[in-house]
Amino acid sequence: MMSIASNSQPLLTMTMASAILPQLIIAFGITLALLLVAWKRSQRTIALFTFLTLFIALLANVSLQAMPATQVTQLLKVDGYSTFAFSLILISALVALRMSHSFLKAHVEVHDEYYLLLLLLVLGAGVLVASDHFASLFLGFELLSISLVGLVGYHRESNYSVESAFKYLVLSATASSFMLLGIAFIYSVTGDLSFNATIPTAIYHQQGLGLFFQLGLLLFVSGIAFKLSIAPFHFWTPDVYQGAPTPITMLMATISKVAMFVVLLKCIIAQRYLLLENFQLFLTSFAVISMLLGNVMALQQQNLKRLLAYSSIAHMGYLLIVIIVTSAQSLAFTWQSALFYLAAYTVANLSIFIIIALIQQQNTSSLYQEDISLTDLQGLFWRAPSYALLMILGLLSLAGIPLTMGFIGKFYILSQATIAHAWWLIATLIIGSAIGLAYYLPMIFKIFADTPSDTLCDTQKMNGKVKALGGDIIEQVLVYSFITFGLVFGVLPEVINQLIAS
Amino acid sequence: MTVIPLFHVLILSTLLFAIGFIGVVARKNTLFILMSLEIMLNAVGVAFIGAGSVWQQADGQVMFLLILTLAAAEVAVGLALLIRMQKKYRSLDIDLLNQMKG
Repeated sequence: MMSIASNSQPLLTMTMASAILPQLIIAFGITLALLLVAWKRSQRTIALFTFLTLFIALLANVSLQAMPATQVTQLLKVDGYSTFAFSLILISALVALRMSHSFLKAHVEVHDEYYLLLLLLVLGAGVLVASDHFASLFLGFELLSISLVGLVGYHRESNYSVESAFKYLVLSATASSFMLLGIAFIYSVTGDLSFNATIPTAIYHQQGLGLFFQLGLLLFVSGIAFKLSIAPFHFWTPDVYQGAPTPITMLMATISKVAMFVVLLKCIIAQRYLLLENFQLFLTSFAVISMLLGNVMALQQQNLKRLLAYSSIAHMGYLLIVIIVTSAQSLAFTWQSALFYLAAYTVANLSIFIIIALIQQQNTSSLYQEDISLTDLQGLFWRAPSYALLMILGLLSLAGIPLTMGFIGKFYILSQATIAHAWWLIATLIIGSAIGLAYYLPMIFKIFADTPSDTLCDTQKMNGKVKALGGDIIEQVLVYSFITFGLVFGVLPEVINQLIAS
Repeated sequence: MTVIPLFHVLILSTLLFAIGFIGVVARKNTLFILMSLEIMLNAVGVAFIGAGSVWQQADGQVMFLLILTLAAAEVAVGLALLIRMQKKYRSLDIDLLNQMKG
């Protein structure tokens, strides 16, 4: 920051401004949205405005894809990888925006705050994926987590809102102070807050500061691992997933994970931390515990959202492998496999959560009760075939069955790990995936099972369901387009590869 | 003038951080949990200020300002939740927040 002030060149040139155009559009949109709220409080207007802001930002972002890597002051660095990740984030935000609609419509109140928090969340994620400095990392991290706390506890009427929001607040604040203490320790040894700081060897061995450096590294990674819900720091995940409104759970499963993982990978690659053997050992144990524990715990779950929470823990464990084996491979390949896996994971999660939200909105009684159990899936195929198809595609992709995106993503990770001879990690990944099948497949069987229709009351409810499951036209389009995404990208992964590589 | 070595500053901030963390883990009253969180954040602030003064850079102080902002934002959200909790449960005991299981 001091060196920026001493620079004679202008702080922000046109090239820089155009590189962070999507983030600027979102930031500008937030300001305008605040003014809009002061002018006219209307659900329709603010929803439309949020949609437009996100959509324009997405267009601007897609047009940036071919741009060469640009350093925007010390704080941000925009390259093809961060642009791709931001596109994923914006798409998830658009889907979540649409799925929130029916939740918010049920109220007399006008929910301006919800849309503002959503935009702030996206801005935080945008800063995070582009950050190249610990200060911007910190700002993005907090923007993302504090707006997420607000969104998790948004439905005051819900039984779980206070509980899940408070749990998330306390644990996320603890995690961010761990991360900050880590950054402070790293800074006190290196004297530089940017990602590509070098470790001065003279100081490293002096006065036990080397110990503080390693401790700092560990604290920093645990702070981020908390957000990614990697195993020893995963305790909040099931409760918060269950207690949050479904669109928000969707955001937590996609946006927050993508942004955090991208920034972690960026930071670790830039700092070459992996040369430290202790560090590699820690990451390996985190990955192994996550893969096993996530999958085993998911086996016992009856609640759909809790199950997905545990499955996300396992998936983050798989992704950690990419980071661990990085040093043995070229960086382009690492980025490609990480981003492909993230894309597959995002599309699969969005598909599943769209269906959960649609099932939930069919009966208004469960609108605020966030529980949705596996039995709600029973006979989904006979009630709404297109929804069932999307759900099955999502589940198969998470399980990593061939001809889905998830399979290609796992294949990338496996091939990378094989080159690095990380046999233990490969063995755990295979065992984890096998356990995973034991809960993904029963869900699919359940979708095809007969509809339980015993009493008249039930039948009536069923009729209501059939009608309501039609959804409106936009939801239909959303469902069909995600089915197409899943099928096309599963069969032709090259499309995404070229997007990442360009 | 004697200079305080960086090592000592870091030890101090680690101790403060540990005190805050123990508070978060051991306290039952949610208000005290929020206060302990503040202690943790301020411990980090001490480390940043110390490191910044050793390296003769403004970065440490800038980070501290950012941390102060974060602490304010976090407490604002936390206190709002605390009011919700008081209204709903008539108590601030953290053990009441245990409805979700599985």
